[in-house]
Amino acid sequence: MMTSRARTAPPTNAGQNTSTVPVPSGRAKRRGRGSETRLAYIFLAPLLAIFAGFYLWPAVATFLSSFFTWGMLNPWRADQPDTWVPAGIDNYTTTLTSADFWNAALNSVVWLIVFPFLVVVISLALSLLIWEAKKGTGFFRSAIILPMTISLAAVGVIWGFIYNPDPNKGLLNAALKLIGVGNADLNIGPLELHLGRWLSNPGVLHLGGLDVRLTNIMIIIPAVWAFVGFGVITFTAGLTSVPAELVEASKVDGASRWQTIRHVTLPSLRPSIVVVVVISIIFALRTFDIVFVTTGGGPAQDTEVLGLLLWQQAFQFLDSPKAGQAAAIAIIMSFVLIAAAMPFLRKNGNPS
Amino acid sequence: MTSQWRTLTLYAILTVASIVWIVPVVGAGAIAVLPLDQSTKGWWTADPATVTFANFGRVWDGGLSGYAVNSLIIAVLSVLITLAVGTVAAYAFARMRFRFKGFVHVMLLTTMIVPVQIILIPLIPWFRTLGLNNGSWQYLGIALVHTAFGAGWSIFMLSSFFEGIPNELLESAKIDGAGSFKAFSAIALPLALPGIVSFVIIDFVFVWNDLLMGLTLLDADHRPITVGLANLNAPQLNQDDLISAGSILAILPPLLLFALLNRYYVKGLFAGAVKG
Repeated sequence: MMTSRARTAPPTNAGQNTSTVPVPSGRAKRRGRGSETRLAYIFLAPLLAIFAGFYLWPAVATFLSSFFTWGMLNPWRADQPDTWVPAGIDNYTTTLTSADFWNAALNSVVWLIVFPFLVVVISLALSLLIWEAKKGTGFFRSAIILPMTISLAAVGVIWGFIYNPDPNKGLLNAALKLIGVGNADLNIGPLELHLGRWLSNPGVLHLGGLDVRLTNIMIIIPAVWAFVGFGVITFTAGLTSVPAELVEASKVDGASRWQTIRHVTLPSLRPSIVVVVVISIIFALRTFDIVFVTTGGGPAQDTEVLGLLLWQQAFQFLDSPKAGQAAAIAIIMSFVLIAAAMPFLRKNGNPS
Repeated sequence: MTSQWRTLTLYAILTVASIVWIVPVVGAGAIAVLPLDQSTKGWWTADPATVTFANFGRVWDGGLSGYAVNSLIIAVLSVLITLAVGTVAAYAFARMRFRFKGFVHVMLLTTMIVPVQIILIPLIPWFRTLGLNNGSWQYLGIALVHTAFGAGWSIFMLSSFFEGIPNELLESAKIDGAGSFKAFSAIALPLALPGIVSFVIIDFVFVWNDLLMGLTLLDADHRPITVGLANLNAPQLNQDDLISAGSILAILPPLLLFALLNRYYVKGLFAGAVKG
């Protein structure tokens, strides 16, 4: 992972002093550095101004406004004290004690576990297989990377056709009909399946007192389909940096292909795996588009996720002033993500 | 297992996987080029003689054209602003010294981590305060939000291209009497150009594909094509022909960019991935 950066970085600056070019006097050098620093600030200023106005301030405003009661019809504004209706920490306590929040949180947790897991396993397997193949690698890789460019709104629409419950329109139900299964109900241990009702009621996983609705999984699958390309690109980049000598050495030592993958390739890919896991976690918690387009959070609230719940509270239910609560959810989500991603940030946050 | 069988299994799995990855798009494309009475009997059994492009015209004239124009304006404006302010800032991060560099860098990178929902809620009143909630000003407003929220990615990617330029080249330019700005504009910028092209493609696709910000921040006349597609997608209306044609039109610009500039696209992500 870091090797390419090291490779592209210049070895040292030592050559500069040994060159025949006269070394600038101390004073001139200092002045040169000063003007360069000034240029650095000029280079940074426009981006930082936009960043402050359209990211930092809105984020701070989200935090501040989470302590007030307000809605889009009579919005909270920092510059107008007459719009301030203090709520203390009520927005947080109301949120953390509401069944809607915990329902959406459970569905988000399903996303946070299932989505990164499927993305890593599938894209790792496909990357290794494509790496093994000698011919057609460009075609296979392109086919799998292609859906990455499709918006999740369109992914939801496109998979809506696949999931269509009418066996004359939906490919999955046509296949079920072909093998003579139709709309079958199955019970496998704690797993209750309703084949053919992909987006309405595909089944439930009974975990003790907890019922996990499988409708979430049916929405996660298209998202994985779209996202695996990113994993394949990252793992392919990682595979190019696996030392060939190590692979050769393990072959010479008589290791089987699986042993080589297990003990040489996978350990070398660990940084790539971390990148894919972290980015899929970030992506999973942001989820909005695909749920909005496919089910809108339904049926009932089976596919409601936090990103959608807070949007509905702030922008859809305009009659009740719930934007403060939505802001509280956004703050809670961000804290969870920053806590989860902090180790990654520390590692990459300091440019040399 | 003999090596012949192994090779056969390998290609069988890869072929099946490729088909699975392509079929959803092919299916939507097939429904889009068939009359409704054909596609509702199963697009895989349809009569190829009935293929028509009429659905595209109908959905385009039925209102999708307006959404497509909005998407184009928003994406081009966002990319231009991001490029103008992002390349210079990325160069500063890659090649210059200044105070609080590490801190500012971490602040920018937080945009890659927190959900976009963190800034969304107060933006509507904030746009009203700034006067960005009326008419065409909304395009500027959303482009600035895309620039700000994309700042982490743009600095992350663009600075990796500037870091790839050998230090000797920039130093020798300075020794030859060129100022720091000249070293940037005459040496670094042209050398980083392939990387910048990759970034432009990825940023364009990213903005084009946004649904959440366009849906939330813009009024009905200025919303992007993703919103137009979501509006079409009403199953009870029995308009699979229009929905599919709309979805193909919405994914076409990113797909074309991907097909034509595949090398740049993958290279850009590759650079990010290698650096990460």
